Amino acid sequence: MAASLIRQTKLLSVFSSAGCFRSIHCTAVCLKNRAARIRVGKGDRPLTYEQAHHPHHIGHRKGWLSQHTGNLHAEGGAAERVLEDVFIRRFIFGTFHSCLADELIIKRRGNVLIICAVMIQKLLPSKFYFLLGYTEELLSHFYKCPVKIELQLVDEKVVYKYL
Amino acid sequence: MAASMASVRTVRVLSKIFHGHFTPATAVQHHTACPRLVHTASVSSPPSPAIIESEEPDALYQRLSVQVKGHDRAVLDSYEFFATLAAKELGLSLEKVFEPPKHIDKLTLLKSVHIFKKHRVQYEMRTHYRCIQISRITGSSARVYLEYIQRNLPEGVAMEVTKTAIEKIPEHIQKPLWDENKLDASG
Repeated sequence: MAASLIRQTKLLSVFSSAGCFRSIHCTAVCLKNRAARIRVGKGDRPLTYEQAHHPHHIGHRKGWLSQHTGNLHAEGGAAERVLEDVFIRRFIFGTFHSCLADELIIKRRGNVLIICAVMIQKLLPSKFYFLLGYTEELLSHFYKCPVKIELQLVDEKVVYKYL
Repeated sequence: MAASMASVRTVRVLSKIFHGHFTPATAVQHHTACPRLVHTASVSSPPSPAIIESEEPDALYQRLSVQVKGHDRAVLDSYEFFATLAAKELGLSLEKVFEPPKHIDKLTLLKSVHIFKKHRVQYEMRTHYRCIQISRITGSSARVYLEYIQRNLPEGVAMEVTKTAIEKIPEHIQKPLWDENKLDASG
């Protein structure tokens, strides 16, 4: 009995060291991460650089979309900043509808709220200027702080990859 | 497209300047064809602020400690270079520039909305620190330096300033009590 056990363990060790150790791989439903990832498909879906990289690449290949001091150690106000960010993203998505090429980047420097956006030029410049002024005025009245929008115009959405 | 938008804006600003104060002599420009934002017209500048002199002596600080914290070490590296350069240019004496160890806040949450208690997800928030200590600085220099540093603080970076002031010893404890008692306590 003992001898057979020893032989079994010896066999196992030989297999694992040789590298041909096979077993059943089963992942439970929740073991795979699905957050902020677009799964591989047929190859006809265009993705921007932001969408193509997974969240564990933040800090390495991606930057942060919203920069404030709320999440630092011994600093407060993170929840309020998140709420403001969500509102600003939805507001600008709605105001410049189908003009946004990529996600907004929101920065807070002192009292000033700076919104950096990459847009596709679908409207006339005069209409663009009006919408920019309108968003800056409204948002500065809502949040009681100076709001600046920095805009970059692009011909069409910049595609990084097709998945 | 982006270039045309930018040039439209600069042309509008230039036209504002020219309409305000136009002098033909200064309108002669000696640079290349691409329009750049150059104030060639004479703009009436406000009178320079007078230097305020007061009777009170300036505050003296033994040490000015500026600690910055942020999520990105590269940002803190560049900010430290900027702050030390500014201090050297102003002639302040840098005592110590060091990096306290980082602090990591960890959270373990459930991965799923409903069940699956065994599957969790862990998040962490890293806070990196950088400390710049300047020794033997006056109050007005400290104010100037801090204002310059704070105006150029990048987004996502927080700063804590600690000042150690030097004060004169108050009059009632300037002389030790046992000196006066020597004359009284004879026996």
